[in-house]
Amino acid sequence: MDIFEKIEQAIVSRDRDQAIRLAEEIVAKGIDPVQAIERGFKRGMERIGDMFADLEIFIPDMITAADIMNEGIAILRPHMKLTGRATGTGRILLGTIQGDVHEIGKNIVKVLLESAGFEVTDLGRDVNVLTFIDRYQELKPDIIGISALMTTTMVNIPRVIENLKTLGLRERVKIMVGGAPVLPEWAEEIGADGYGESAKEAVQVAKMLMQELKGKKNG
Amino acid sequence: MVDFWEFMRRAESGEMVQEKDFDRKISTVASEMVKKYNIRYSPDDPVPSDNGLADRVFEAALELFVDLGVFVMDTRKVVHLTEEQTREVLASAPDTVVYGSGNEIVHVPHRRVEDPRDPVVFFSAVGTPVEEEDFVKVCISYAQEPLADTYSGPLITVYRGMPVTSGSPIEVEAGIWNVVKLREAARFAGRPDIPIHNFMSVAERTDATIAAARPEFGVRENDGLFTAAIAEMKVDFERLKRIAFLLHTPYVIGGLYGPLMGGYAGGPEATAVVLVAHFFLGLCAFRAQRHNAFPIHINQVCNTTREMLWLVSVSGQALARNTNCVGASNAFMASGPCTEMISYELAAHSIASTVSGWHLNPAAVARNRHPGHASGMEARIHAEVGHVAARAGITRKEGSGIVKSLLDKYEKSIPSAPIGKCFAECYDTNTIQPKDEYLRLWDSTKKELKALGLDFSLLYQ
Repeated sequence: MDIFEKIEQAIVSRDRDQAIRLAEEIVAKGIDPVQAIERGFKRGMERIGDMFADLEIFIPDMITAADIMNEGIAILRPHMKLTGRATGTGRILLGTIQGDVHEIGKNIVKVLLESAGFEVTDLGRDVNVLTFIDRYQELKPDIIGISALMTTTMVNIPRVIENLKTLGLRERVKIMVGGAPVLPEWAEEIGADGYGESAKEAVQVAKMLMQELKGKKNG
Repeated sequence: MVDFWEFMRRAESGEMVQEKDFDRKISTVASEMVKKYNIRYSPDDPVPSDNGLADRVFEAALELFVDLGVFVMDTRKVVHLTEEQTREVLASAPDTVVYGSGNEIVHVPHRRVEDPRDPVVFFSAVGTPVEEEDFVKVCISYAQEPLADTYSGPLITVYRGMPVTSGSPIEVEAGIWNVVKLREAARFAGRPDIPIHNFMSVAERTDATIAAARPEFGVRENDGLFTAAIAEMKVDFERLKRIAFLLHTPYVIGGLYGPLMGGYAGGPEATAVVLVAHFFLGLCAFRAQRHNAFPIHINQVCNTTREMLWLVSVSGQALARNTNCVGASNAFMASGPCTEMISYELAAHSIASTVSGWHLNPAAVARNRHPGHASGMEARIHAEVGHVAARAGITRKEGSGIVKSLLDKYEKSIPSAPIGKCFAECYDTNTIQPKDEYLRLWDSTKKELKALGLDFSLLYQ
């Protein structure tokens, strides 16, 4: 087992001491920290995501793994430049829509997006439609991710999209939506760019949207 | 005793904590309680007959509640009650609730494990979105059912062409429309006095709910309103404002608790403990007179998986054996209307709930997300099975055997459950009666259930 596999295993088993020790070893031996993140920490979190999808582990286990990963990356960070923009992974503005105070699902998505290298600004729950617009204008993220748990609140999601259109900003940002009552057909109907059935799928969709953005820039 | 206003005082003066720390503590404490009280999920026995297990779940929930408290999101304070205060609140919990007026008055008593009395059945479309023009017909399909002791409706997301956005003036208007139409549907179902156990499903905000809660719109004394806790063990001012209002009204206060299995609590054992603890939250924070439990599988968004049925059963038994609370089990199905699978899911959930001491609140179907996918027929199936199980004196052991046979028929299909048919496809929308296909399907499942020991002729005795 090489050092990257050992890091992956430390994340999967939520062994903080081992993960920290291995991160320090990476630095001490001058091993490429980006490789350690990509082949060790991220892969470990991908497996954690799979384990959560199968309910072999639960949310607290996933958060613990993410915390350990973040501690490990904090040790590596001074030896590299790592932000969502620097690595090209992407920046995401995330929030639960106006009127909805349920954010467990959004929090799971956040953990997995960060684990995949995205820089996430979490606006929290019950986020006013116009706050999404204001924070977009302030931060200029690549993607806005909006969730709803209730049918009564999800109808606020299209208002974010409409406001972006009104301000001429819609084409500058990708929008992904999700949450228990949100269906893929509805996401398409309201003009969202992506829809995630699960947290794991949300990460795949975010990556796909980033590819589209890169393609657009290159094109 | 810790009353609502004492709760509010503590919501301002209690210990301040970070929400994420509270979330983590739930996991830690729940896990400790599961170990300490030796609570073990038994996949081979989805409806356990172990009284000791039920009592340990209750004691674990009590200790968890005292240790954890209730998180108030607006103040970031935790409201704590001592064990003595919690037991005092429990002792004062209503053991009977009365719904309705006029010709339809329903007494809902505390129910016991293996109680031979019929469960009270609260028929409901559980917040399924429907078109504005279909709302009344869908409501009638529930209210007209003979086994419906009370009913409540679906919801609309578009009113007169405008989206019903929460917090907007249209939400107030649509909320009033919701209340008017529920009572109108009851009248045209031939039951003008049927109690409405939750008179608001369209509006999310409290101001819109209060605006609609007026007799001239059709709300009556001893109708009811649900107030939901926020998973897990949290409340906020928006919901507590409803309570401040409801305490001055003749409306029945219902607490609504939906812990997520696989969420912050953990697995089925810990989530069962947390679900029971939510009843204590409902009693002290909401002054709830009756309670509705809808634990949900975090990935499958239903409560008919094997571990969910076990969770429903043990939490029901814990409450039935150790409290006087009036509780109903809210059915969340993976599959949709007019499918063979839904008849199995509904039957399994109804049996597991009925023999474990719950009343019944059917049913959210097709994972509660497909517009128009709900009808009174699903609630009928759930209610008929519950009535028969109680009248036949089905024991937990017998119930467990039947549930296992039913799980064998559907559990592998849960991840890819069919969404079934929408209301207009499975009902004749002129007569508002289920189509022959749906009736034949249910008759066929009834024959299978009869072979498993459920005698449906008991419905007519």
